Amino acid sequence: LFGFFQGGAVFGTALAQLRVASSIVFGTPFDLGSFDRLIEGVRETQQEFGGLGSGAAELLGPPMLDEQTRREVQLRRFRTQAERAARETAYYGALFAHLGLDPARLRYEDIRRIPPTPKEALRADPDAFVRQTARPVLRAMTTGTTGWPTSVAFSAYELQSTVALGGVGALASGRITPEDIVQHSMSSRATVGNIAFAGACARVGAQVYMAGLVEPAHALALLAERRHVPGKKPRASMLVTYPSYLGQLIEIGPGLGYGPADFGLESILAAGEMLTEGLKARCQRLFGPTRFVENYGMTETLPFGGDSCSEGHLHFEPSLGLLEVLAPDTSVPAGPSEAGTIVATPFPPYRETTMLLRYDTQDVVRLPATAPLTCSLRNLPSTSNILGKLRLSVRHDGGWTFPRDVQEALEAVEDVPLPARYGFWAVPGGVAIEVVARSDTPAIRRAVARQLEEHGVPLRELRMATDHGQLRHPIPLRCDLREASFSSPGPSPATTDMDRREGLVVGEVR
Amino acid sequence: MLHPAFYAVLGHAAGTVLLSWCYFRWYRVTRPPLGVFNLRDVAIMVVSIVLVPYLYLALPTWLVVGLVVVGVLSVLYLVWEPVLRARWGIWLATLGLAVADVGAMHAYGAVSTPFFVINNVVLVLSTVGVANLWAQSGMKARDAAVLGAALAFYDFVATTQLSLMTDLVARLAELPFPPLVAWQLDGHGQWLGIGMGDLMLASVFPLVMRKAFGRAAGLTALAVSLGALAAVLAPFGWSVEAFPVMIVLGPLMVAQYAGWAHRQGTERTTWQYLQAEPIVARSGPRG
Repeated sequence: LFGFFQGGAVFGTALAQLRVASSIVFGTPFDLGSFDRLIEGVRETQQEFGGLGSGAAELLGPPMLDEQTRREVQLRRFRTQAERAARETAYYGALFAHLGLDPARLRYEDIRRIPPTPKEALRADPDAFVRQTARPVLRAMTTGTTGWPTSVAFSAYELQSTVALGGVGALASGRITPEDIVQHSMSSRATVGNIAFAGACARVGAQVYMAGLVEPAHALALLAERRHVPGKKPRASMLVTYPSYLGQLIEIGPGLGYGPADFGLESILAAGEMLTEGLKARCQRLFGPTRFVENYGMTETLPFGGDSCSEGHLHFEPSLGLLEVLAPDTSVPAGPSEAGTIVATPFPPYRETTMLLRYDTQDVVRLPATAPLTCSLRNLPSTSNILGKLRLSVRHDGGWTFPRDVQEALEAVEDVPLPARYGFWAVPGGVAIEVVARSDTPAIRRAVARQLEEHGVPLRELRMATDHGQLRHPIPLRCDLREASFSSPGPSPATTDMDRREGLVVGEVR
Repeated sequence: MLHPAFYAVLGHAAGTVLLSWCYFRWYRVTRPPLGVFNLRDVAIMVVSIVLVPYLYLALPTWLVVGLVVVGVLSVLYLVWEPVLRARWGIWLATLGLAVADVGAMHAYGAVSTPFFVINNVVLVLSTVGVANLWAQSGMKARDAAVLGAALAFYDFVATTQLSLMTDLVARLAELPFPPLVAWQLDGHGQWLGIGMGDLMLASVFPLVMRKAFGRAAGLTALAVSLGALAAVLAPFGWSVEAFPVMIVLGPLMVAQYAGWAHRQGTERTTWQYLQAEPIVARSGPRG
């Protein structure tokens, strides 16, 4: 009985943990009930003890695999996915027949013989990628900033497991707590991401509200609104949004009289676009000290994506999918310190409906140098943060200039309003850049040129504009996916600190 | 005049309850990093308690011994870990006790004073460890009361209506680490003892009551546990009958829980308990 008396403690959670872990290790479908019990166990632990015990992160996190094991595990998963794709999808059935490859006998080296799947192919015929035996319940579409929206079909199982996975991740990392109030200011068309995030918040026990991409003044009023929900923080404590929309909030906030005392934001999850150091620095002035959370994900490869570490790398969990980085010119694997596009294969048991093998995301990253990493996620495959879309990057005589190079420089200049609106293209010897600034003066031009030079951009022409309608080749920004609203963009009818300072409110509104 | 065995067994039982209480305030065991002991665990435990005795009666002796040895070693390691800290010291103490238990049994027999002395030490320490593991894993007073009520019913059936407990004790008493704190009554193989399960419930309840409702509730539960054990053991100072101890302990646990819950409402979490009554650190919290 001794062993039982010891092992019996928290037996239910341990069993759920074992079932989830076995699915992760062997790639078998998740038992969603076990996910629920695991999440419940994590919440109960945090509530009972005020935090998780030592070793919990290892239990909830991805398995640590050495290089050889990682390759074996990934090859098995890739094979499984390739067999399903060849057998049950029109696109890959034809492709494997054409290549003469047997997906069941693929070796790791053979993976490169499968040509990357271009975004255009998925966009042109999304149903050709859906398994015949799948049960799709959602057709998720991208926001289409790079053209016609891309469609990806998801099953109920995929949505539920993605939500559960997000919930476990949020709880384990402590990024979202049950006390949090989360303002979700993303495009309503980013359906699957919205479902996954809101579902994860619900699992954690945080309160989320979908503010959407409404007038920035309205979004600020919502953030400043005082809340009186038992057990919750007094104001929105987390903001989830696109960096460009965050830029708009930062730009208009001071003009509306807002300052750090009006908000209770503790963290900002910036997704869907590049977040620059300049924007982060300027953000602190409006919202005060705030923790930034950056990650990388896209509808097509969900839930496979990158988590950023403390040193700014993106790390990709090997059991979720296969990460490849291919050089933009040659489509061969990029070497250390070289830039390339992310080519991703989402794996089972997370992906079962829309099969994508070697999907070319067109998102450019740089591989780390050969020196070993020292960050907390160093055991996971890693890249730099996203450098921009390949389509928007420019090849010139001196090599490549990526959107991040330009944007980091521009958003560091105070006289460039946020979000930086700009365009750039190749000219002999470097790039020409157009940018919206507060005014076109020699001093601002010098400041912009200096920053560009410091960020390694070979500037040959600089064109200043004071309105983004004047730009010839503007980079698309998601903040322009603005949603209409019947509500007035003014302050919330509930009490805000700004109201109090201005004596607008005599009685507290609850 | 009560038999000296009564004082010996009651002394060990009281020592177990008091040592558990002190250990709870002095040391943090390595609890599972995820999960809280809850009603689901209680249900799993009750089902297992019903099934495990049949398993132990059905399994071959070598396998039963193997399971018991692994269990005892892991519990002893758990108890010593925050006390001794150095790994070699923990293993030395753990293996030393285990070897002494097995050695005494071989050298002096299963019903002998030397064996009872050593096995009682092992049992006391093991009970302290398990009681603290449960309590420090977040077991609620409510869950302990539910477990007490369920075991009261089970103990009554298994001890008085079936021969299960008698058969189990008879089987395990011949093996190392019998789960009994016991003492010789005479030179003819008679002994007086109390089962580890009863001791465990008597020990864990004051801990979870203290965590849930404060020091007064814990001390009350401790006094009630000791009084109940004395009351139950006293009539057996001159008898060898089996008695289902949980039919006394179980209802007392339920009554205490109901009274304190009615008086104070919600139970404190471990975090709230530690905020209100910080541990005097003899060993750093381990989780």
